[in-house]
Amino acid sequence: MKKIAFILPLLAIALTSCSEVKPLEKMVFCFDSIIDVKLYDGKKEYLDWINNICYEYDVATNYYAKGTPLGIYQINRTNDEIEIEPDIYDLLKYAFDVKDQGATYFDPMCGSLSEKWKESLAKKEILSETVINEELEKRNNSSFEFFEDYNIQRIGEATIDLGGIAKGYVLQKVYEYLRGHGVNKYIINGGFSSILLGEKNTKSGLFTVGLKEVKNAYIQAKNCFISTSSIYQQGVEINGVTYSHIINPVTGSAINENDGVIVISDNGAYGDAMSTSLMNNTLDEIKSIEQEHNIKTIVIKKNKIVYSHKDIEVKYH
Amino acid sequence: MDKKVLRNDLILIGSLLVLAVISLVLVLTLKTKKNLVAKVYVQNEVVEVIDLSKKEEKDYYVQGLKGQVHIHTKNGGIAIVESNCPHQDCVNMGYVYETNRPIICAYNAVYIVIEGKANFDVEI
Repeated sequence: MKKIAFILPLLAIALTSCSEVKPLEKMVFCFDSIIDVKLYDGKKEYLDWINNICYEYDVATNYYAKGTPLGIYQINRTNDEIEIEPDIYDLLKYAFDVKDQGATYFDPMCGSLSEKWKESLAKKEILSETVINEELEKRNNSSFEFFEDYNIQRIGEATIDLGGIAKGYVLQKVYEYLRGHGVNKYIINGGFSSILLGEKNTKSGLFTVGLKEVKNAYIQAKNCFISTSSIYQQGVEINGVTYSHIINPVTGSAINENDGVIVISDNGAYGDAMSTSLMNNTLDEIKSIEQEHNIKTIVIKKNKIVYSHKDIEVKYH
Repeated sequence: MDKKVLRNDLILIGSLLVLAVISLVLVLTLKTKKNLVAKVYVQNEVVEVIDLSKKEEKDYYVQGLKGQVHIHTKNGGIAIVESNCPHQDCVNMGYVYETNRPIICAYNAVYIVIEGKANFDVEI
């Protein structure tokens, strides 16, 4: 009996105590968003590395402010052949090449058209057909050349905007860094559009990922990139129609085929480009691209899931 | 004697069990209670911490990088209602009542992050 009396207080303590291990955490403010980093294993210096690489690419890809030594801002203001940093050269090369890997509606040279739409939607106005056609003509008469020794040349008036790929590209770098340092348990939340999942600090290692726009829906995932594009973020409703920040580079329209696309992939840059591009693909096209390029998608229309890959189990609570 | 010892032991066991159950209920209640707090950052610095659980209707003015940002709270939600940024994405976002949905005015480097109990590890 005395033993029981001794065990019970211990049981009480065990029941009420908290055993969660606090991860190493850092919030990085960049890419017009917040990157929330949680490492369940690893060192503080890894957080600093992640912080620095995010800032490096943020500065270099900023559409509105000068990068150092040379970034997108400067590239968009010259037609001269110039030498740029190898890291930015590789990112630009990837952004132009990804179109050939199924991202038909991803075009990094739509910066000026996209900017015109943003300015117009801020005033709750629809961009006129005249301006859209002028911008499309500008784009069609422009090109981008890659030369040896990290030289590049923008030809024409169309401008580069890497907003649809830069964050995913950096998360890919972060993934490679963490893997190289043997870190397996982490979550890097790039703010809705780009998420890198390692394993959670639990037995299953699975993270619970809520789908904001579908009531009570969630998925469980680990060791993958999740990229999301949607009209719900930064969408503006005018006369009952939602105009998004995702522009169809073929038609110049800000009205998308789908309301939201979630891409689960093993490459952050590719996932980001694909989620943007697939916003303007039909369901049949998406299914075909999935098979060909080893990605899994969830497609949302009117706050309902209209398609999800057979290996994705969407749960409801 | 034996009967008395047995009775006292039973009282002790019963009391400890009641204590354990009460403690467990308290811990679980505290864990599930949302107690949302909004932290307002300008660049990397926290400039305002707002307890949203008070559900107060109140105005806050924060000096951003390129101008003043007007923040408003009501019914446990928070919004940027006025900013000099060109695209107005932050203003168009409206009121936010939950975690995992930061309000960002990149032009002014103003970030509002709601902290508290979340239903999910992350939301997309």
